[in-house]
Amino acid sequence: MKQHLGRQSGVQNVEVSLIDGRVEIAPKEDGQIDPVQVLKATYDSGVTVAELDMTAQGKIVKDSSGNLGLQVAPNRSFAFAPNELSKGLESLADSQTVVTIRGQLYKKPAGKKKADPSAPLKLLILEVQKKE
Amino acid sequence: MNRKFVLLALLNMIVVPAAQAQIKHIEMRVEGMT
Repeated sequence: MKQHLGRQSGVQNVEVSLIDGRVEIAPKEDGQIDPVQVLKATYDSGVTVAELDMTAQGKIVKDSSGNLGLQVAPNRSFAFAPNELSKGLESLADSQTVVTIRGQLYKKPAGKKKADPSAPLKLLILEVQKKE
Repeated sequence: MNRKFVLLALLNMIVVPAAQAQIKHIEMRVEGMT
């Protein structure tokens, strides 16, 4: 799995802990990493992903339906799963403020062995680390 | 000269926030790893 993930676009380094089943991925600074591709690549290597968290910085954007999200690249943004923390960022929508967020992008549904990795992912904000 | 400065300032406003936006770290918890 480590080699499989290491070949993904934008991946700098992969650290695997067999003891607690944790995989840490350090992205390259080229902004090419795609968490959805990382998730798919992990499934392709025969491993079930229980949870995927990420730390990202970017601008808060609002789509045409009024949903808030974090834009991490000019052509890539993640819609927020609404919670109290996402509500607190509403005033920053479409501003130049850069926010650093730690959030959960995927969690395996309870009771199902495997989820559809191609389903659209929403970012559940766990922590707002910095506003610039 | 003045026009060049304005263009540079505009370019800076566009490029800098885009460069700051990035995914810094990904962590997964996996099952079935041997």
